[in-house]
Amino acid sequence: MFSWFRLLASLKLTLVGMVLLGGGAALSYNNPVDVSVWVLVLPLSLLAVNLTAAIITNPRINRQIGLLVFHVCLLATVLLAGVGRMTHLDAHLEITNGQGFTPDLLLDVRKGPWHTGSLKKVAFVQGDFTVDYSAGLKRNLTHSMVYLPENGRMREQDVGDDRPLVLERYRFYTTHNKGFSPVLTWVPDQGATVTGRINMPSYPLFDYKQSNQWTPPGSRQEIKFWLQLNTGLSVGDAWVLDARNSSGVLVVTIDGLRVELEKGESVRLPDGQLRYDDLTSWMGYRVFYDPTLQWLFWVTIAGVLGLMHFFWKKLNLVPWMDEATSASVLPAEKLAGAPEKQGSKGQAV
Amino acid sequence: MNDMVAEQPWLWAGLGAYFVATLLAMWGVSPRHSGDDAETSHRHQRWVLAFIVLGVLLLTVAIGARWVRIGHGPWINLFELLMSQMWSLGLVFAALYWRLPGLRPSAVVVLPVMWVLGSWVLTLEPAVSHFPATYYNVWKWSHVGLGKIFLALLLTGVGLAGVLILRRTQRGQVWFRAMPSDAVIDKLAWRLMMLALVFDSFMLIAGAVWAQDAWGRYWAWDSLETSAFLTWLFLAIGLHVRLSYKVPPWVSGTIIIGIFAMAFSTYFGTPYLSPSAHKGVV
Ligand code: HEM
Repeated sequence: MFSWFRLLASLKLTLVGMVLLGGGAALSYNNPVDVSVWVLVLPLSLLAVNLTAAIITNPRINRQIGLLVFHVCLLATVLLAGVGRMTHLDAHLEITNGQGFTPDLLLDVRKGPWHTGSLKKVAFVQGDFTVDYSAGLKRNLTHSMVYLPENGRMREQDVGDDRPLVLERYRFYTTHNKGFSPVLTWVPDQGATVTGRINMPSYPLFDYKQSNQWTPPGSRQEIKFWLQLNTGLSVGDAWVLDARNSSGVLVVTIDGLRVELEKGESVRLPDGQLRYDDLTSWMGYRVFYDPTLQWLFWVTIAGVLGLMHFFWKKLNLVPWMDEATSASVLPAEKLAGAPEKQGSKGQAV
Repeated sequence: MNDMVAEQPWLWAGLGAYFVATLLAMWGVSPRHSGDDAETSHRHQRWVLAFIVLGVLLLTVAIGARWVRIGHGPWINLFELLMSQMWSLGLVFAALYWRLPGLRPSAVVVLPVMWVLGSWVLTLEPAVSHFPATYYNVWKWSHVGLGKIFLALLLTGVGLAGVLILRRTQRGQVWFRAMPSDAVIDKLAWRLMMLALVFDSFMLIAGAVWAQDAWGRYWAWDSLETSAFLTWLFLAIGLHVRLSYKVPPWVSGTIIIGIFAMAFSTYFGTPYLSPSAHKGVV
């Protein structure tokens, strides 16, 4: 074997790689923006090369099946995590009650260069949701209803918290980010009527500033909206956030004019008529896609099982100290059993 | 002074039992027994074990009483975490103490380390904690359970590491005269480290599955994840250092204590230094 290959397989190089990886991990703490991902990628690459060389050349690894499985799985884990980073997608989504999912709803999309998921095939319609709060406004379980097309019908599914909606391997997790959406119809003096929703800021986090603005198509004037909500919120008691049990007065301000609208009411504005049709809700999801997830799980489990196998084998080689072999009566060697076959310099445990 | 809550008397009684076990363990290794035969030095060990087990039972009641009082298990605040660690460390150590007589004198190192937690828990308010929605996940049980076994194995290793280091003093040699040679203790200690690595690795896997479901990502280098990864890596480094170099027993002991210190700060430091996720505030 070439001497440089042996050098690559050296256990001392392993230690260097591990120390570098420790440094990289410490630097990556909390994902600071000014720290490059290379502080992890470089030591991991070094360790991967080192480990591959060791697996090929070092009989201490490749002749002990459990240890071999463990180290191969370790290598596979690093590779899978790398593939995962290249193929992943991370995004946010705000979707209103009654709205169907489309890929262009995704916000803050971060994805790997090899990402090729079938996001276009993802289909669901958002329904109502409830969020339980304990006294003191402590958030508890979220139940978000989604409707999935299935054999020409819509199947209902309850998702929330740690029960994601999984479609085409995309995982949709509810978040604390959710709120109210007034449904509005704009009938312009010229042009087509439009109906749409305005998502107000997250509730109850921004209870005190439920406002937003919108410039209708064909108008040059921005309309300011402020939603005065009645949700039954009481900080001192348990409470359920549910848009079906909530109501809101929509305060519309434009160019010095201020009008309060109840559901169903309209107001005449300079460029058209605005109607407040309904009050509905929106849910914020975190969207996550990583095709390596299941693989990572099984490979790491297999790796640790390999380690266990190796460990049990070692246990059998040297009996544990037991009652019959009290230390003060027996010499150490007897307690430890026959000396093990050792590698060059190090100690076996 | 606040009114006493249901779990407090049981907690104090449990810690009291551990305290008695600590004193008995110290008495057992004390020099006035240096002439005793092995039989005599074994007798007190039954009492040490009995008091540790009693402490575990009393802490079980304390945890149960709190569970009933606040409606959820000891998962969230520091008071609960320390109390449940006192319980699991005692339980696992008692099992090892019972099965591995050779390590018993090391209780004089292990039990005082547990007292760091014991005295800490006594300074904390038993405030009611909020149970976050993401903690209903069943992976929590395996993650936490595996983590408890991991820490207890490390702590038992620390006991042996302490023996390796203290034996460099004359007093240490007397205290631990009934234990096997350094070489054997070192081997046993690293075996516990390897078993700890198995549990640590499983704990990380279970934690990643939980994190994926709870926070929508399996790994994000938050404070606890970074610290837990470093602990795992320290273990790997420790094991590989011993493969590459001939390590004298006291250095070996120091490495084990270093790994434990890292794990300790992961469990009891990091979640409370950083406001980021994982502390349960989501
Ligand atoms: C990445 C490069 C790595 C290389 C090249 C490497 C190489 C080796 C080698 C050659 C052995 C010797 C087996 C023997 O003599 O019996 C070994 C043992 C071992 N390795 Fe690694 N390893 C690596 C990473 C890791 C990591 C990250 C861990 C994780 C904790 C790990 C855990 C172990 C364990 C537990 C043993 C058995 C220790 C013993 O028998 O005392 N290895 N490794």
